[in-house]
Amino acid sequence: MQTTKIDYKNVYYPPGGILLWIIIFLELLTFGISLIVLVVNSKENPALFHESRLELNATFGAINTIFLLTSGAFMAAAVHQFKQKQFKKATTFMNLTMLGGFLFLMLKGFEYYLKIEAGHTFGSNTFFTFYWLLTGFHVIHVLIGLIILATTKYSLKKKKTLVEDIEATAAFWHMCDLIWLLLFPVLYLIF
Amino acid sequence: MLVLTIATALTAQFVVGKTAAMIILLLASIKFLLVAFQFMELKKAHPFWKGMLITFLVFFILLLVLLLK
Repeated sequence: MQTTKIDYKNVYYPPGGILLWIIIFLELLTFGISLIVLVVNSKENPALFHESRLELNATFGAINTIFLLTSGAFMAAAVHQFKQKQFKKATTFMNLTMLGGFLFLMLKGFEYYLKIEAGHTFGSNTFFTFYWLLTGFHVIHVLIGLIILATTKYSLKKKKTLVEDIEATAAFWHMCDLIWLLLFPVLYLIF
Repeated sequence: MLVLTIATALTAQFVVGKTAAMIILLLASIKFLLVAFQFMELKKAHPFWKGMLITFLVFFILLLVLLLK
């Protein structure tokens, strides 16, 4: 497998590839603008947003942050091992990365179940409309990330992976982390 | 980063008002930059990409801070 060095200092070759970084910035802009609009909307009814925020489980959010950060650390380790041509270790770290993603989704699924049971659905109020939209889109990104991880792990086993492939996979996965790091404090903590 | 996450949780628990929001956003920004520069290896990238990410974060946080005041 090719583990050739890339000149990251070249503006056209950021780690993960220029296409991925364009996607990352578009996603950050989309989620960022959505979060700003959420805060603007909160000005109309601060009490409602505060009461609705209290219905969210910040402990679950914090645990999910730990799952994603740990998963991100494993992904970074997988890339490092791949570059050292330690392909078995890279595969192990990718498995651990995927485990973190699954744990995130499981806890998120349980959280969604509790919200629905409590009657906090999409149309409950403005806050919960934003909650379902923002966290729902994030979950979709995590799901896509897991599919990409699985695909890259499969090609790693077939010894067909290029360093660009695994770096792009890692960049997408870390993007899910970046989005969550903005989403969690704004939705779960500050209102 | 786990320490920062725990610090965020403690801040949300024991600090109230706008101060809590500012501290939480600051801690989130630090984690954001650590993930980008360490995990995503942005520290190795061309200054253009570093500048773009930092600019995005600064604008985002500044807007939030102004709106929350």
